Amino acid sequence: MRRFGLWILVALLVVGALLSGITSLAQDEKVLVIGHAESTDSLDPARGYTQTSGFIFRAIYETLVTFPDADASSIEPMLAESWEVSDDGLTYTFKLREGAEFASGNPVTADDVVFSFNRLKNLQGSPAFLADNIASVEATDPQTVVVTLASPDPSFLSTLPNPAFQVTDSQVIKENGGTDAVDAATADTAEEFLNNNSVGSGPYQLEKWEPQVETVLVRNPNYQGDAPYFDRVIITNIPESATQKIALEAGDIDLALDLTADEIGGLEGNPDIQIVRGPANIIHFLLMNADPDVGGPMADPKVQLAVRYALDYDGYAALWGGVQPGSNLAVGIAGALGPDEAIKRDVEKAKQLLAEAGYPDGFEVTLDYPDFSFQGVNMNTNAQKIQADLAEVGITVTLNPGELQVALEEYRSGKEGFGYWFWGPDKLDPVDFLSFLPGGKVATERALWTPERAEQSLLDLIEQAKVETDQAARLDLYRQLQQYAQQTSTFAPFNQPDIQTALRADIQGYVWHPQWLLDVALLSRSE
Amino acid sequence: MPFHLYFLRRLLFVIPTLFGITFFAFLIANAVPADPINANLPQSALNDPEIIAAFRQKWGLDKPPHEQYLTYLGNLLQGDLGTSIKTRKPVADDIGRFLPATFELATFGIIFGILMGVGFGTISAVWRNSLADYLVRGFALIGVSFPVFLLALIGLQVLYAQLGLVAGPGRLGVRVSEPPVVTGWMTIDSILAGQWTTLGDALSHLILPSLILGSYVSGMIARVTRSSLLEVLGMDYIRTARSKGLSERVVIRRHGLSNALIPVVTVIGLSYGNLLSGAVLTESIFAWPGIGRYMFRASTSQDFPAIMGVSILIAAIYIGVNFFVDILYYFLDPRIRLA
Repeated sequence: MRRFGLWILVALLVVGALLSGITSLAQDEKVLVIGHAESTDSLDPARGYTQTSGFIFRAIYETLVTFPDADASSIEPMLAESWEVSDDGLTYTFKLREGAEFASGNPVTADDVVFSFNRLKNLQGSPAFLADNIASVEATDPQTVVVTLASPDPSFLSTLPNPAFQVTDSQVIKENGGTDAVDAATADTAEEFLNNNSVGSGPYQLEKWEPQVETVLVRNPNYQGDAPYFDRVIITNIPESATQKIALEAGDIDLALDLTADEIGGLEGNPDIQIVRGPANIIHFLLMNADPDVGGPMADPKVQLAVRYALDYDGYAALWGGVQPGSNLAVGIAGALGPDEAIKRDVEKAKQLLAEAGYPDGFEVTLDYPDFSFQGVNMNTNAQKIQADLAEVGITVTLNPGELQVALEEYRSGKEGFGYWFWGPDKLDPVDFLSFLPGGKVATERALWTPERAEQSLLDLIEQAKVETDQAARLDLYRQLQQYAQQTSTFAPFNQPDIQTALRADIQGYVWHPQWLLDVALLSRSE
Repeated sequence: MPFHLYFLRRLLFVIPTLFGITFFAFLIANAVPADPINANLPQSALNDPEIIAAFRQKWGLDKPPHEQYLTYLGNLLQGDLGTSIKTRKPVADDIGRFLPATFELATFGIIFGILMGVGFGTISAVWRNSLADYLVRGFALIGVSFPVFLLALIGLQVLYAQLGLVAGPGRLGVRVSEPPVVTGWMTIDSILAGQWTTLGDALSHLILPSLILGSYVSGMIARVTRSSLLEVLGMDYIRTARSKGLSERVVIRRHGLSNALIPVVTVIGLSYGNLLSGAVLTESIFAWPGIGRYMFRASTSQDFPAIMGVSILIAAIYIGVNFFVDILYYFLDPRIRLA
């Protein structure tokens, strides 16, 4: 029995190795294989709302407007070639590009936009909240769509690149049980169809989605833009990042989307692998409570400014890569102040400010932060550096790392006098910065920088920025707000670390994107 | 006892056990201090009482627990396991899709486990206290105690990434065409379709994970085989057999092993049940779309219908395997037949 078992084993190994050799002979087709821990809950654009569905949607559907390839710094045309906003900020009129076609060959018309937006709203699926502020959508002619909002929202345009607002082929969806009527939540039966077919105008179409196994995309023959390089894109589900790493090394996958920083470090120096780095949109910052009872000396605006002058910004960038953001608005979002416009380290100035505030010999303070690593950034390491930086200006910091949930509770309830946290934008729009100003969530609830504690001139500026619909004027207002915060604010943003992705060395054109993660149509293989 | 009576008696034990399990599964699922609302609705919808009420009504969460249980039981008797909150598909369909993958892997795993376990256990008992015995016992200890995920990762790194002897994660290579689904077993389906390349690829994908599962269960099987065989080999009838002049080979096979196997069969049955209920870690590391991963996902999103469905399925598998083992006893142990 023992020998028999051994022979079976040997035979299986040999047969397996031989046959896997045969099967890996590639066909002429250009194939891209992406390894990813699948999180897709639905491939119906009005229902799916996960990371995986995001980049699959990007390949098969188009939206009215979009962001540039690498960031969210401006709004660009996609299916709409131009748009106008009414003076009251309530009416958006989009002019559609001529000649766009769905995979079915049907032209993309204003009726399709109306259908898609109404279906999103009425289906009440996970992403429906994004359409809450839409009062009505009308097609005034086949190429013109008018969207009316319930209340002015200058960030509306930067919501539109969200996959929820993809324009779908209304004719095909209706033929397969879909509806945009008010009772869509119960009457619409198109999900099963949309999980296995795509009805968009993007460069690819969905060939199949086998849940928990793989998703396969093939070229859309009716795509009107530049044809993508790969004929076929296979997104294979590999839930464990350690397995993704091994499969990437073996060359079975071209891209591994979920590797940890340690795993990427282990790939360094492998000639078959390239590691692409670029700033993500997470900002690490210090919080200084504005309430003297909670913040003590940290509540003094002069001390807060001194802390901003004391930090060794280049040092943090050397540790984690990335950039020093000019404010708590992530670099890459329209209007964000970049590293060039950020505050520079000036130890003498910091000491002088502390003396003016009445602390010529410094003071002692406790720094609260979660004992945690996020996207490869170890917060303990940063906390030690903060301790060292502030010691140079005379502030003696005691580190108080806490369990994440416990620390989070203290932070959210505004009980931290001096804290270290990070933030990822809720919206890829300058409006996100309002969270860090009086009246906004982080400032008001967590740093207790309430409107009552703020200068009237700042509050006026915030109100102006909230309602301004002219994009240029609006961005200018947000720049003023950020410049204000560099001088007066309860926060000290110090680093926006890099995000790292590992891919095979012959893959070109990879860019990380804050909205859709990656655009497979931009990728190619060097030959 | 005649066979049909024995069979019926065993079967009668199964029914109350199954009911008990539905009850406990329901109790535990309801006792967890977590609200499926939090796991299944987007953050923004949590502030909207209307959406929350609609969700509760849709999934019957607004009814008192005993009513929920009775409704569930009623549906269960009609073969309806409910609809998964996460996948929005009938739980029975989901199980039908994910179970064959686990079934195939567990079967290959248990075959490797039996081959290695019984083989090593026999060697160890026959050459008791020899070097071979120590080696085998050391191996068994490692098999039982070495973390499966580590073994799996080392196996992948060496046999797949470095040497290219076996295929990597998943059931099939991404470029290999799938056979039409008949049984859900890649191997059988590709034989049925005559797709020999696919068969080879499927086997190549099966070897490593089933070897690892096999070595995991073989440790236990080897230890039980060894001690049971040692006990039997000390019996009077073995001495009789030897003194009759039978060859050592015949003594061990015919008289030793066949009598020593009864406790081994029990362990094999339990191990198979264990593998069938989904080896979550192995399935995760090998990206194996099986029932273990499905259960894991269901648990993390508090998908109660799916959790209940899989719990009942796993319990049923254990009960089924045990039932089968009991039936095997009837044939292996003459005492049961004569009692």
